[in-house]
Amino acid sequence: MSSWQLKRLNIIVGALGSGKTELAINLALYLAARKPTAIVDLDIINPYYRTRYTKDKLEKMGLEVICPPHGIMQADIPALPASILGVITGEDRYGVFDVGGDDIGATVLGRFKTFLPSGQYAVFFIINTCRPAMGTPENIITMLNGIERASRVKVTYLVNNTNLGSATDVATVASGYQVVAEVSRQTGIPVAFTAAHEELQEEVAGLDLGTPVFLLHRFMRPPWDEE
Amino acid sequence: MARVLMKGNEAFGEGAIRAGCRYFFGYPITPQSELPHFLAKRLPEIGGVYLQAESEVSAINMVYGAAAAGARVMTSSSSPGISLMQEGISYIVGAQLPCVIINVMRGGPGLGNIAPAQGDYFQATKGGGHGDYKLIVLAPASVQEIITHMQLAFDLADKYRNPVMVVGDGILGQMMEPVDLEGTGGEMAEPSKPWATTGMRGRKERNIVNSLCIVPEENEKNNLQLAAKYGEIQRSEQRWEEYGLDDAEWVLVAFGTVARVAKGVVDKARKEGIAAGLIRPITLWPFPEKAFNKVIDQVKGFLTVEMSLGQMVEDVRLCVQGRQPVRFLGRPGGMVPSVREVYEELKKMAGVKTCG
Repeated sequence: MSSWQLKRLNIIVGALGSGKTELAINLALYLAARKPTAIVDLDIINPYYRTRYTKDKLEKMGLEVICPPHGIMQADIPALPASILGVITGEDRYGVFDVGGDDIGATVLGRFKTFLPSGQYAVFFIINTCRPAMGTPENIITMLNGIERASRVKVTYLVNNTNLGSATDVATVASGYQVVAEVSRQTGIPVAFTAAHEELQEEVAGLDLGTPVFLLHRFMRPPWDEE
Repeated sequence: MARVLMKGNEAFGEGAIRAGCRYFFGYPITPQSELPHFLAKRLPEIGGVYLQAESEVSAINMVYGAAAAGARVMTSSSSPGISLMQEGISYIVGAQLPCVIINVMRGGPGLGNIAPAQGDYFQATKGGGHGDYKLIVLAPASVQEIITHMQLAFDLADKYRNPVMVVGDGILGQMMEPVDLEGTGGEMAEPSKPWATTGMRGRKERNIVNSLCIVPEENEKNNLQLAAKYGEIQRSEQRWEEYGLDDAEWVLVAFGTVARVAKGVVDKARKEGIAAGLIRPITLWPFPEKAFNKVIDQVKGFLTVEMSLGQMVEDVRLCVQGRQPVRFLGRPGGMVPSVREVYEELKKMAGVKTCG
């Protein structure tokens, strides 16, 4: 299980509710510390908790946020701005793509497949084994195959993002890792890292999982829990 | 799989299956589409029927049919779709059949938007369709509570042979929370339904399901029978949650998602020396007037908070009957009141001077 190699374009896919948006935002902010970074909201199936709802905040933090313009940002329509192609072809910046959930959400990625420069992008398949019907390697591999078929791109890395929201403890993360490691053995796709909430930093580091730990700050919050 | 991280919309589906529901008829609409999406996958796996109708009007009439045959059946939609179903809902009430209807409310009126709202309170609690009738209306405030409310909804529907509506808003439908499924659902026997249209089976009299009642004298009797049933429901089924109410002087009233905001306000107020509490109606109908009668002489006033221009506040005023002041704060159109703005309103009401 090698650790991951940074590419210019980083595409996040996974089942509905697996944590793609949180990972995409955190990864984009991590990359932005090195070079200008754009985050692309490719989620056209999720009505609420997607990157565009934190646009102002992320722009203040130095990210370029690519999403539909204000008037239709919250509309229930599958709008994709033309500036997405600028991120794919422009070599001056990193790009992080937050793709919609399941095979249905990943279909939109297929539209950009022919533009993706080979060798310059990585596809991260993010896994939360605490989600319904995502607890076993069989279910996860079925989902992975469905997303690859719908998007017509191959997954480069697995990411363990197993969590129970506010009820997550270090045992939750560890049990999810065992399942993700088994998926890796069966598919030959390496695990890039385990993603965990920043509050669990020390405990997760103590697990010694053999893959890096990527710490997440939470951006998607309900209105009674705003920062 | 005892503990999972679930979206509210998935929990409506999972809770229904655990309560023994095997039939779903509906039509997709944001922000509840994950619910039919979830059941489209799950129901066929367990021998159930998922059917996407050509419209909400069809869907509710399919529910009518399945309910007449004695099935545990449900539909779900969001505000405009629920409006379309009103005729069918009135028919189901008239025929005295049980079913469960989910409304994940969004911003209106009209097409409005897909943001969270509570502007369908009147429609849910005051009839909605034509004629003299009531729905039992449940308002969960967490994903865990959605699971338990689905069981309760089917049980109450069968007990009273009346539709039960479970209302949430887009936030409750879309948010994810940890859910413990241990001990939910299970082998509870459904009540027998001797009135169901399932064939003669040796009976001499035919079972007839109908909401047509042409002779006025008979229809009046029919209505009075419904009224007697609603009286019993009002006496037996009021449900609410109290938070910090024992020694409260200022009482917030809020349901669903807004009650989560209101709890934050109570905590903040308590820290700053204001004796605040919360009544969270769990049944919107029957409205929990017992909760108000309990505290009416101890408190100094009520602050109702809603994601609407003021609907539940009318029921609060009916309970309070002018004995204490009732104030209202609402955000319509898909906006959610923040802890800060509700707290500022509470301070004004409590006569606390704001600095600056």
